[in-house]
Amino acid sequence: MVDQALLLLRIGVLVLLYLFVWRIARTAIRDVRGSAESMILSPGHGFDRQPAPVAALAEPAMPGRLVVVASDILPIGAAVVLDQPEVLLGRDPHAAAVLDGDGFVSGRHAMVRLRGGAPTVTDLGSTNGTYVNGNRIAAETHLQEGDEIAVGSTRMIYEPGATP
Amino acid sequence: MTPGRGLVRLPLRNRELGLIALALLITTVGFAAVQLARAQEFASSPLIATAFFAGAYLVAHLVVRITLPVADPYVLPITAVLTAIGLIEIYRIDATLARDQGVWIVIGLALFVGVIIAFRDIRRLETLRYTCGALAVALLLTTITLGTQVNGARLWIRIGELQIQPGEFAKILLVIFLAGYLRERREVLTAPTRNVLGVGVPALRHSLPLLIIAGASLVLLVAMNDLGSSLLFYVIALAMLYIATGRLLFVGLGAGLFALGAAAAVQITPRVQTRIDGWLHPWANEQAQCCYQITQSIYTIADGGVLGAGFGRGLILNGNGETIIPYAQTDFIYSVIANELGLVGATAVILLYLLLAWRGFRIATSADDGFSKLLAAGLATAVAFQVFVIVGGVIRLLPLTGLTLPFVSYGGSSVTANFAIAGILLCISQRANRERG
Repeated sequence: MVDQALLLLRIGVLVLLYLFVWRIARTAIRDVRGSAESMILSPGHGFDRQPAPVAALAEPAMPGRLVVVASDILPIGAAVVLDQPEVLLGRDPHAAAVLDGDGFVSGRHAMVRLRGGAPTVTDLGSTNGTYVNGNRIAAETHLQEGDEIAVGSTRMIYEPGATP
Repeated sequence: MTPGRGLVRLPLRNRELGLIALALLITTVGFAAVQLARAQEFASSPLIATAFFAGAYLVAHLVVRITLPVADPYVLPITAVLTAIGLIEIYRIDATLARDQGVWIVIGLALFVGVIIAFRDIRRLETLRYTCGALAVALLLTTITLGTQVNGARLWIRIGELQIQPGEFAKILLVIFLAGYLRERREVLTAPTRNVLGVGVPALRHSLPLLIIAGASLVLLVAMNDLGSSLLFYVIALAMLYIATGRLLFVGLGAGLFALGAAAAVQITPRVQTRIDGWLHPWANEQAQCCYQITQSIYTIADGGVLGAGFGRGLILNGNGETIIPYAQTDFIYSVIANELGLVGATAVILLYLLLAWRGFRIATSADDGFSKLLAAGLATAVAFQVFVIVGGVIRLLPLTGLTLPFVSYGGSSVTANFAIAGILLCISQRANRERG
């Protein structure tokens, strides 16, 4: 009697163990998506964030853009298109340029505003500051063609758009 | 949020709860088997043990449900099955040890909860990277200078009644430090500065971290008199360096450096030499110090056969109630599992670790900042490689070294440290999954 019960328990444990393994393997395999992803942090290994929040090419009647010239987190050459009256830069997932992964960028770091077509940049009280041409800005600052904005490790050059 | 809405809206947490329920069923059946085999009748004590175990895991699940609603649903249940198997086998060896282990599991889950509450935003750890690095070095230095030798290796610090194995915690701190450091420096490390035979070679000063890591691991090897720990630290560092830079060259160079260093170090540490003898020629001198443990381990595994003797039925204890293999509840617990659950059960345990490592690397790939990626991948490597080294050791694939089997082996440091790892992985996964919506 005891022997039969033990045999039953012994088989039971093994069956349950494999049921557990199977349930995880099955559901987890179903979850596998995006095979292009990689955990390797090197360029060309898929780490560099796709410029999804950062439009790659602008429309013909193009608004001004901020072109990335140096960054730990954004691909060089990506552009932030200034097609909204207010363009937020920061780690916030709703920002126009999501600078996530940079420890020196605040959630809501800086705001680029279009004031009658001429853009300005304002620091939103970030911890590490916003720089225009190397100087930390204290107040809303107008941007001229070729000005360089630095937010954390990301440096961007302002390119005015073509006015239609 | 009402509980009803919460239940409906958290499919991942419901999946986790279902898997934990299955884990608890395995626990109950296992305890019942041990009890029945021992006393030849059913008793209520396995149910009480399971109830405590279940309570602890359900509390942990509830905290995850509230704080990390979209975190990975597989990590916690896998740890539940692993700790259950360990607890059952320890109970089977010695009920007193099992009670201690039960307390450690509860403390471990408390630490798990503490980690996910304190570091829900995991990037807070990044700001502590240098603190963590300094702590890791301090812990290891303390172990080397003040540590007591147990069975030849200097891995423990004794505080009153308690024996702590600081290496288990130093391992985590080191991974945190390396994740922060490598994210900061990876561009410098990646940039090749010279071309040698068509291969870009980084300048010497950029390879310096690699050389320091290799040197430190070898110092650890000699100072701690233990090949396993030093190999573990080295492999973690090398894997993270590869993940940060994507350069296989570092791995090749690193492996070569370590092989050379280890070959030299073996000459001056007799204990490691003994272990290598025992690995290569165990049958030459079965009863001798070099080979007794490993041969007993192999007999125990072979005795289990394909389906095993069953929980509580294996030939684990001798007539005096002592374990036949020394350290059966810690280093050799995998042999005990193989004896009682057979090849089939022992394979299931390996599969569980495989799933755990896979979830770790999956969390690393889905994370979208460099620090989280490195941290998750480093921790997954740490757990996976530790399993490889100790299981490889007891089945004589590798020289035997005294590492614990994560979540399964008896021991407070090991259990609590591994729960901290599980907590960090869940925090990273929550952030990654939330960002993807």
